[in-house]
Amino acid sequence: MTNTLVQPLSWKRTAREWLATDAPVLTYMAKATFAGLLALVISMTLNLPDPRTAIFTTFLVMQPQSGLVFSKSYYRVLGTIAGVGVSLLMMGLFAQDPVWFIAFFALWIGLCTGAGLKFRNFQSYGFVLAGYTLCIVALPVIETPLEIFSIAVSRFSEVIIGIMSATLVSDMVFPRKLFDSLLASERERFANLFSILGEGDALFAAGTETEPGSAGFSGVVGLHAVRINSSFESGTDRKARQLSGQLNQEYMHLSTTFHSLKNILAAAGERMPPEARESLAGLYAPVASVVNASPRTPVSVEELDGIIAGVLEAKEVLQTLVEEERLRLAPFLEADAYEAFSSASGLIVRLLGELHIHCVTYRAFLRHRLSGRASRELSRVVRFSTHTDSVLVALAALRGSGVLLVTMLFWIVTGWPYATLTVTLAVVLGLLIGTLPSPLAAVMNFFKGGVSAVAVAAVYDFYIIPEYTSDMLTLALVLAPVLAVVAWWTTQPRWSGFALGFIFLFMYQCSLDPYFRVDPTVFMESTLAYLIGIGFAGLAYLLVNFWSCSLTQQRVAKILRRQIVTLCSGTITVQRSALESTGRDMVQQFSTQGRLNMRSSRLVYTWLLSTLEIGRAVIAVRRSRKRLPLSAASDSLDGAIYAVRNYFATPSEQMRRMLLMTLKEAVAVLHAQGDSAGAAELKRIQKAAAELALIRTIMLSEGSLPVVTEDTCR
Amino acid sequence: MPLEITLLGIQMPTLLPIFAAAAVLQILVDRILADAGVYKHVWHPGLFRTAVFVCLFTLPCLLIYT
Repeated sequence: MTNTLVQPLSWKRTAREWLATDAPVLTYMAKATFAGLLALVISMTLNLPDPRTAIFTTFLVMQPQSGLVFSKSYYRVLGTIAGVGVSLLMMGLFAQDPVWFIAFFALWIGLCTGAGLKFRNFQSYGFVLAGYTLCIVALPVIETPLEIFSIAVSRFSEVIIGIMSATLVSDMVFPRKLFDSLLASERERFANLFSILGEGDALFAAGTETEPGSAGFSGVVGLHAVRINSSFESGTDRKARQLSGQLNQEYMHLSTTFHSLKNILAAAGERMPPEARESLAGLYAPVASVVNASPRTPVSVEELDGIIAGVLEAKEVLQTLVEEERLRLAPFLEADAYEAFSSASGLIVRLLGELHIHCVTYRAFLRHRLSGRASRELSRVVRFSTHTDSVLVALAALRGSGVLLVTMLFWIVTGWPYATLTVTLAVVLGLLIGTLPSPLAAVMNFFKGGVSAVAVAAVYDFYIIPEYTSDMLTLALVLAPVLAVVAWWTTQPRWSGFALGFIFLFMYQCSLDPYFRVDPTVFMESTLAYLIGIGFAGLAYLLVNFWSCSLTQQRVAKILRRQIVTLCSGTITVQRSALESTGRDMVQQFSTQGRLNMRSSRLVYTWLLSTLEIGRAVIAVRRSRKRLPLSAASDSLDGAIYAVRNYFATPSEQMRRMLLMTLKEAVAVLHAQGDSAGAAELKRIQKAAAELALIRTIMLSEGSLPVVTEDTCR
Repeated sequence: MPLEITLLGIQMPTLLPIFAAAAVLQILVDRILADAGVYKHVWHPGLFRTAVFVCLFTLPCLLIYT
């Protein structure tokens, strides 16, 4: 009896699980194989000289979701156009002059490698393409420059055929929309946010530490990439994308505020007496209660209306509570403890305000998605600024040019006709793998994949293709299993380097020409040339990638300090969102490129948060200062900003103490001035004083400032 | 219209520039349709997009070949 009851249930669950996890992979395998074979058949029918380029392109741009395919294809087309154009130009200018040819070649590869690191997502891929198209187009005809036109046209046509096949198949056959997954991750993020905010106890427990990306406050940079790529899909309109961008930005603000609060509480632990701590916990209670009373994953607009009403109510309660508690505690607490208390309570108020704004935007987003009605809520265009360290870019450019020059030297010294293949593969790898987190490991995997591919290709070239294929249909049938397996590998992250190497060498060693031709000597020599090329690329990564952990820490600290200095003296048009996105993007890049360990990446994240908070406070103070009439208050604000700037320009313990004193005096002057000011002016002065107090509270805990004091890389 | 044209001294099939122009036009049309919310009422947006592109590409091609 129980068996019959349990069986259908578990069967259904199995089916659902299979549909959710395995079916998409199988569909993707079928789609990728079909697209690849389609490209092969079309280019063979059109008699293009190198059909493997088309099929290879298909595999490079194929992704599970349509938006990714469109985006990657778009940049691939742009990159190919640029690459083909530069090839024509170079052959026209320097065909007879090897020195200038190689010099210009190296310059172009260096530029493309640097730009590939500087830009993000598939834009970076476009630059990579622009770089290595030059190798594919110009190198094979270097002895016979007049053939450049025909090879340029045929390479371009093959790439376009590959791209067309990939985009058509991915959008027409069981399309999977990136925007739907964006919606799902947005939902998941909202739930995460609520579960973090609901746990007030964890916030007030002693000795809490900020962990990088822990507690769900992560993925800002990743979700931004999803949003960008989804703009290539049909059905995502500008409004939806704007709302999603705005959600991302508000989420960043919430995350910074929450972590600042956590940091202040952790750092001010010793200075703050228990009653202040309890009082803060009491102030946080309305936030926790409204969050805990709401559903974690609101799916309807009505549910969100309820949450927003709750948040508004809590906001009012909190305002009065904060005023009361400040008045109550002021006589008991010491100056520093009181400052920490009022900074923390200010952060709680800000947190609730930001939560309110976030919920309103989320409601607009949901309403737009669910009913499709144009919502009345205003949505802003939010720019996600990025920052890439120029030293990293310069190193990458150096590596790219270096690889080319060394392999060219290898060609000139050996005089081996196949050495062009070595040059091509070394340059391709130098460009393609440079943006991945651990390039050396990726080159190793590429090598393994390449060696396995050569073995499989040999079986195909010398046995299967001559034995079993007679026309295009049989060739397609024979190739399908290998393509399907490669497609499966590309869905597994740990196989991706291997899959790349496999598809590259398999395509170039398998006899897929319009007319079957195979020669054992050519096969062996070209294989050797390719493998030597991989070796050169690996060596380049080994030699030029000396980016160590402590160097990374010093760079990050320096850049963060420089940001504060710029905020203190530059124009004040900088928005908080630009500050946050740049900082986060930079830290993300350093932690992928710079080999940080757990401890140091936690440290870097803490630096980032305190920089963001100080930077935001500096902007706020400078804005208030601008609207104040000239008086003792404005003078002291100027002095405080100047002191902050001085400390971050040349940090030292003595300067820090001086800064703390200046800030303390400035706050005292502001309070004294406030007594004689009018209502509007008083508000501005109070706001500025609160921000200065916040800066001071952060400055009191030395560990959170972006200054390298000890070696945390061991 | 001729079957082949010369652009910057390079002879190429007329289809090539037409293809490029159709692609640019398609991107513009797609943006407008997406912002107007047309894709919410379309059964298979991918198929629809492809069909629009085929129409945009074929119309000038018919002019050449007829």
